[in-house]
Amino acid sequence: MKRVVFNNKFLPLLLLAPQLIITAIFFLWPAAQAIRQSFLREDAFGLRTEFVGIDNYTALFRSSEYLNSFSVTLIFTVSVTVVTMVFALLMAIAVDRLIKSEKVYTTLLIWPYAVAPAVAGILWWFIFNPSIGILPYVLRQVGINFNWIFDPTDAMIFVVIASAWSRISYSFLFFLAGLQSVPASLREAAAIDGAGPVKRFFTITLPLLSPTTFFLLVVNLVYAMFETFAVIDATTLGGPAQSTNILVYKVYQDGFVGQNLGSSAAQSVILMGIVIVLTVIQFRFVEKRVAY
Amino acid sequence: MASITLDNVGKVYPGGTRAIGDVNIDIADGEFIVLVGPSGCGKSTLLRMVAGLETITEGQIRIGDRVVNDVEPMDRDIAMVFQNYALYPHMSVRQNLAYGLKNRGTSKADIEKRVAEAAEILQIGPFLDRKPRALSGGQRQRVAMGRAIVREPAAFLFDEPLSNLDAKLRVTMRLEIKELQRRLGTTSIYVTHDQLEAMTLADRLVVLSAGKVEQIGTPLEVYRKPASTFVAGFIGSPAMNLIKASSVPHLPGTAHAGMIGIRPEDLTVSADGPIQMKVAAVEELGAQRLVHGHIGGDAATVTMASDATLSDDLNLTYRPGSLHLFHPETGKRID
Ligand SMILES: Nc1ncnc2c1ncn2[C@@H]1O[C@H](COP(=O)(O)OP(=O)(O)O)[C@@H](O)[C@H]1O
Ligand SMILES: [Mg+2]
Repeated sequence: MKRVVFNNKFLPLLLLAPQLIITAIFFLWPAAQAIRQSFLREDAFGLRTEFVGIDNYTALFRSSEYLNSFSVTLIFTVSVTVVTMVFALLMAIAVDRLIKSEKVYTTLLIWPYAVAPAVAGILWWFIFNPSIGILPYVLRQVGINFNWIFDPTDAMIFVVIASAWSRISYSFLFFLAGLQSVPASLREAAAIDGAGPVKRFFTITLPLLSPTTFFLLVVNLVYAMFETFAVIDATTLGGPAQSTNILVYKVYQDGFVGQNLGSSAAQSVILMGIVIVLTVIQFRFVEKRVAY
Repeated sequence: MASITLDNVGKVYPGGTRAIGDVNIDIADGEFIVLVGPSGCGKSTLLRMVAGLETITEGQIRIGDRVVNDVEPMDRDIAMVFQNYALYPHMSVRQNLAYGLKNRGTSKADIEKRVAEAAEILQIGPFLDRKPRALSGGQRQRVAMGRAIVREPAAFLFDEPLSNLDAKLRVTMRLEIKELQRRLGTTSIYVTHDQLEAMTLADRLVVLSAGKVEQIGTPLEVYRKPASTFVAGFIGSPAMNLIKASSVPHLPGTAHAGMIGIRPEDLTVSADGPIQMKVAAVEELGAQRLVHGHIGGDAATVTMASDATLSDDLNLTYRPGSLHLFHPETGKRID
C-alpha cells in the first residue's frame, strides 16, 4: 500500500482540531476545574475562596453521610449489574433457542434501550407509585405493602429495577451475539461426551462467553455508577433518608443544591479516579484476552 | 464394540426437506463403512441420526441389539469426529481428551492412564498442555481422534474429518485412520465426498445419491460392477465414460442397454476400432495422458501412453468384457 505523506505539519493538527477542541472544552477543562476546586473552600456567601489542601477529601472520609453513600452505591451498582446481566443472559438463551421468530423477539427486546433513562425513571415512577401505581396495588392484594417513599429497602429495589430495565436490552444483544458465535458442533461434541444441557452450559457455553461477560460487567458497572443519575433524579431523589443517594447523585446534590462546591468537586475527582481504574482494568483485560 | 443396523430409515427436516429416504444398512461388528456421495446427498444427516444429533423421522436404528431412536447421544456409546474438529477452545488438549471421561465419572487415575495411552498412540504427548489454537491442522485432527478413542466407544463416527487438511496430510492421515481402526477393531462409519478416500478406507462402501442408497459393496465390487449410472460416474478416477447406446454402432451384447459405460483405461486406439471419438483437449499426467473429447453427443475420456500419436479423430476399441450396460429408463445395471 502506498502511504500518503503530508509535508505540511499543520494539516494533521487542523484535521484533528475539532475533536481536540471538543475534548478540551467539555472534558479536560471541567476535569481540571474540578481538581482545582477540590482543593479550595468558598465561604458561605461566595465572596472569598481559600486554598485548603486536602481538607475537602479528609472531611469526606470522616462524613458518615458520604461513607453511607459509598455503601449505597456498592449495593446499588452490584444489584443493577447482576440483575441486568442475569436477565439479559436468560433472555438471550431463550431467544437463541428459537429458530424462526428470533428477529421479532430481538427487535422487541431492544426497545427499552431506546428509552431515555429519565423517561424510564418516570415510567417506573408511575408503575411503582404507592398511591396510583399498578404494582403496589397488585402487591397489596397479596398482602405485601410496597412503599418506596418511606421504606429504604423498597426504594432500593425500585431504583434497581428502574435502572436495570433499560439496560437489559444492551447486554441481551451482546449475549445473544456471543451465544450465536459458539459453534453448534461444540455443544454437539459435548452432548456426545456425556454432558447434559446444564453441564454443557456451564462447562462449554459460559466459558466461551467470558470475554463478552467481562466486557458487559465493566460497561454495566460504569452505567450503574454514573448514568443512573437521571433515574434517581426522576424517582427517589436519593431518599428516603439517603437510602438511594448514590455517589454521582450526591455530587449533584452537594454541589448544585447544597452549593458546597469544594466538597462536590472532591467527590467528582474520586469518581473520576474510579472510572479511570475501571477503564484501565478493561483495557488490560481486553488486550490480554484475544478471542479464541 | 457393536454392530449397527439401519432399518428403513428416513429423515424429513422440519420445513419439509426430505434428506433421507428408506435406507437399509447392516454394519457388522468391527466393520469400516464409508458413506460416500456428492455434497448435499444426505451423508451428514444419516451419520448424525446414528449419533443422535438428528431425530429419526422414519424407521429404526439399532446399535448392538438396542433400538436407539429415542436414546440421547451420550447414552449411545459412540464417539464422533467432526469436520471442524469441534475441540473445546478454552480447554487444553489434555482437558479435551479427559472431558468425556470426567462426565462419565471415570476415576482420576483411570483418566490419566487412558489419556496417556491415547496421546501415545496418536503422538500428541508433547502438546497435551497446549490449547487447540496453538496447534496445526494436522495436530488438531489427531486431538479430535484422541478424544474419540479415549472413551473406547462401541462405534466411531467420522464426518469428513480430513477435508480441512492439505492434500499431502490427507493421504498420511487416511492411512493412519485405517491403521488405527484395524488395530482397535472398533465399528466405524466414515462420511466423505471424496471417492478415492472412500475406496482406500472402506471395508464396504455405501454410495448415496439424493438421500437414497445407490449401492452397498466392497470397494472392488462397486468399482467392477457399479449398480447404476450414478455409481458408475461417481466411483473411479478418471470417471467412467457413459455413452448413449444409440451414439455408437451396435456393439455385440448391448441390445437392451440404454447407456453403455466404459472406463477410460479400457479404451485403446485402433485403426479399425468401432467407436469414433472427437478429441477436444489433452491433459499430460507424465506417465500417461488423458484425452478428452466426445463420443456421439457424450463427453468421454481415454487414457493413453504419453508417447502415443494424437489426431483430432480417434478410432477406439475396448477391452473385451469391459462394457457396463445400463437400463434406458431406470439407469440400473443390466447383467
Ligand atoms: N438442519 C437442516 N434443516 C433443513 N434441511 C437440512 C438441514 N441440514 C441439512 N439439510 C438438507 O438436507 C440435505 C442433506 O444434507 P447433508 O446431510 O448435510 O448432506 P451432505 O453431508 O451429504 O453434504 C441437503 O439438501 C440439505 O440442504
Ligand atoms: Mg456433510
